[in-house]
Amino acid sequence: MSAKGGYFRKYLHCDLSAGTCERRSLDEETIAKYVGGRGFGAKMVWENLKAHDFKIDPLGPENLLVIAPGPLTGAYLPSSGKASFVSISPATGLYGDSSMGGSFGVELRQAGLDFLSITGAAPELSVLFIDNDEEATIIPMPHLAGKSCLETEGMIKKHIGSHDVHVAAIGVAGENQVRFACVNSDWSRNAGRTGIGAIMGSKNLKAIVVRGEIDLPVADLKGLMQETDKAVRYMHEHKYFHMWQEQGLMNVIEYANTQGILPTWNFKDTVFPGHKKINGETMLDRYKIGDSACFMCPMSCGNICLVKDGKYAGAVTEGPEYESCAMLGSNLGIDNFDAVLEANRVCDEYGIDTISTGGIVGAIIEGYETGVVTLEDLDGQEVSWNSDEAILALIRKIAYREGIGDTLADGARAIIARWPEMDKLLLHVKGLEQSAYDSRVGTSMGLAYATSDIGAHHTRAWTIAKEIEEGANWSPQQKVELVIYHQTLRPLFDMLGVCRLPWIELGLNERHYENFFSYITGKKTTLEQLLALSNNLYNLTRRINVHMGATRKDDSLPYKVREAPILTGPNAGKKIDEQEFDAMLSLYYQERGWDENGVPPEALEATF
Amino acid sequence: MAKKLTVVPEKCSGCRTCEVACAIKHFNVNNPKKSAVRVLVTYPHPVVRMPIVCSQCKKAPCEDACPVNALSRSNGVVRLDEDACISCFRCIEACPFGAVYAHDDCTYPIKCDLCGGDPECVKQCPKSALLLLPEYSLGSANRLNNVLSYSQMKEIEYSDEGEIKTIRYAEIGKEEL
Repeated sequence: MSAKGGYFRKYLHCDLSAGTCERRSLDEETIAKYVGGRGFGAKMVWENLKAHDFKIDPLGPENLLVIAPGPLTGAYLPSSGKASFVSISPATGLYGDSSMGGSFGVELRQAGLDFLSITGAAPELSVLFIDNDEEATIIPMPHLAGKSCLETEGMIKKHIGSHDVHVAAIGVAGENQVRFACVNSDWSRNAGRTGIGAIMGSKNLKAIVVRGEIDLPVADLKGLMQETDKAVRYMHEHKYFHMWQEQGLMNVIEYANTQGILPTWNFKDTVFPGHKKINGETMLDRYKIGDSACFMCPMSCGNICLVKDGKYAGAVTEGPEYESCAMLGSNLGIDNFDAVLEANRVCDEYGIDTISTGGIVGAIIEGYETGVVTLEDLDGQEVSWNSDEAILALIRKIAYREGIGDTLADGARAIIARWPEMDKLLLHVKGLEQSAYDSRVGTSMGLAYATSDIGAHHTRAWTIAKEIEEGANWSPQQKVELVIYHQTLRPLFDMLGVCRLPWIELGLNERHYENFFSYITGKKTTLEQLLALSNNLYNLTRRINVHMGATRKDDSLPYKVREAPILTGPNAGKKIDEQEFDAMLSLYYQERGWDENGVPPEALEATF
Repeated sequence: MAKKLTVVPEKCSGCRTCEVACAIKHFNVNNPKKSAVRVLVTYPHPVVRMPIVCSQCKKAPCEDACPVNALSRSNGVVRLDEDACISCFRCIEACPFGAVYAHDDCTYPIKCDLCGGDPECVKQCPKSALLLLPEYSLGSANRLNNVLSYSQMKEIEYSDEGEIKTIRYAEIGKEEL
């Protein structure tokens, strides 16, 4: 069985309440308009919202979860192992997605599917098995209850007696519907943000197991090979290529500290005195035991680390990468790489997002320090900067929803509802905790977080490096344009089902992607056409958010970014001026063709 | 000169580029499951990422297991004669490394032929985890390690036109000589 031209034109729809799985046809219009990945996801989520009159509980059975690789996923081109997990987020109550690397998306495609959509809730803890083009089955496996992500993957592989499958599983945090729980696959690749793991938990879906071996539809394999050879040669010759293989994203710790954007002590500061103890060099020197890459990726940015002695001896984890290391390290004042690795490992095992966890724990430590949170609130267990054991205990309480963990597990909004003063300490946008780049350094990064459709995440636009380079010479117009360009190009990678790192980190020309797309689909397409589709999609996810109740007020900066200047370092004294930001937001809406309240007109179709 | 396809598991990142490269070379399709090399990953105890490749054994168990003599060794490669093969797949089961593969679309077992002496997997591995080495050099890294572990290595710093560099040397006490 094979299909030409990038798509199988089929998706699998599973209704866990009814216990049915059905292969459905995918129409040409959806393919032409939404490309794939987060495009298919947003389209299906939008249809589902309309069918439910926009009344959806993110953790209710009616919420649709879409897992969508793109037309380029699994193809012979660099870093083609991505899949998007799309739904209505339990963290924000708005549109949410998270992309995952590894090989899970490739396997899903090889089962002859363009994507997978899941609705309903199983009566008991179950696993969805998809074996190639055979009928998929939902099998109750209640004995997996309470198992960690990695244990679950191991047990399922043992149960089947084969390593030829790929498993996407949730841990205890997902089962307990922690609103920032993630989905873990290939032993540590995560769909980390927006609480996708909690959605699987609410559906009683412990894991999805896929095996596929169908040829991927490529219209012009020869053309694709030539294009890929050029791209791969460029990457290999790049001066930072080997540094990427060696350190991956861990090299950013040093950069962020030097530039003064490294979150430190819950974003109080941006330079961390102990950064040398948790940076990439330290990792290489004493911890790294192996390399890890997603499908077809020459950069292999993943690091496998082992703690060799001390109280965490034997802890193996894939990671940390920059975000995890900053949020679980400097942001919690931890200058002990053993403890950072252990925290990263337990987050992977419980299946919770390291960024949200680090943000929340940091805010709680500061809250306790300043008296917002009492010792009684903390169930009598003190927690302070660099107190690794207390911090690990707190993370455990979140995953298991014990004591204070029950509130923390419900994320930023619930925390602020319980302790209103926490609004000043916990950095979030739309209820999603902020990533590990301090935006006080530049309004464009603040704007990027504020206008991101999923909340304060850096995936949509990452303009901070450019803003640091350009300094004060940069006009608001230029900033807004760059944010919009990023918000259009970066999500395009998620639509295509590939990783953006070859582009953003090694400067691989984005024109390669129009050629990849054209060779694979057999339809000559330009980057401008693809960007226009990506822009349309941004309008669609915005429309979803508007319908779910988001307004201009939700495109706001966290309190600290507005009111608390950076303490020390190269950016000491910096914060974002609220009026300047507000003017820029208006300009942003205007440039996007949205009205003053950030509402896109009904029939906004962009050219780019 | 006889050459062996060898792997350095410590270097493998598990990216599976070798699988896709092999499938394109032999079947002209984008399908990592149609390849004569697979990356197997175990985690977390022990952490190993390893491409499983054919060793082109000189006394090949796959050849011995074949009931119709469809497998035979020539020029350092155990080759499959597809006309003779009856697709019983005993070779797949016989291989002690699991380096012969089956696929639903394929009548015959998928078996490495070293791409005529210039394997695609070796050429495309971004980590140099796959190597085609002359047989005489196999084990040379271990031999060197053995020697190095015998001697106690010392490091000294020296200045080369103002730049500080280090040199390593083996210090062997006089009493040991």
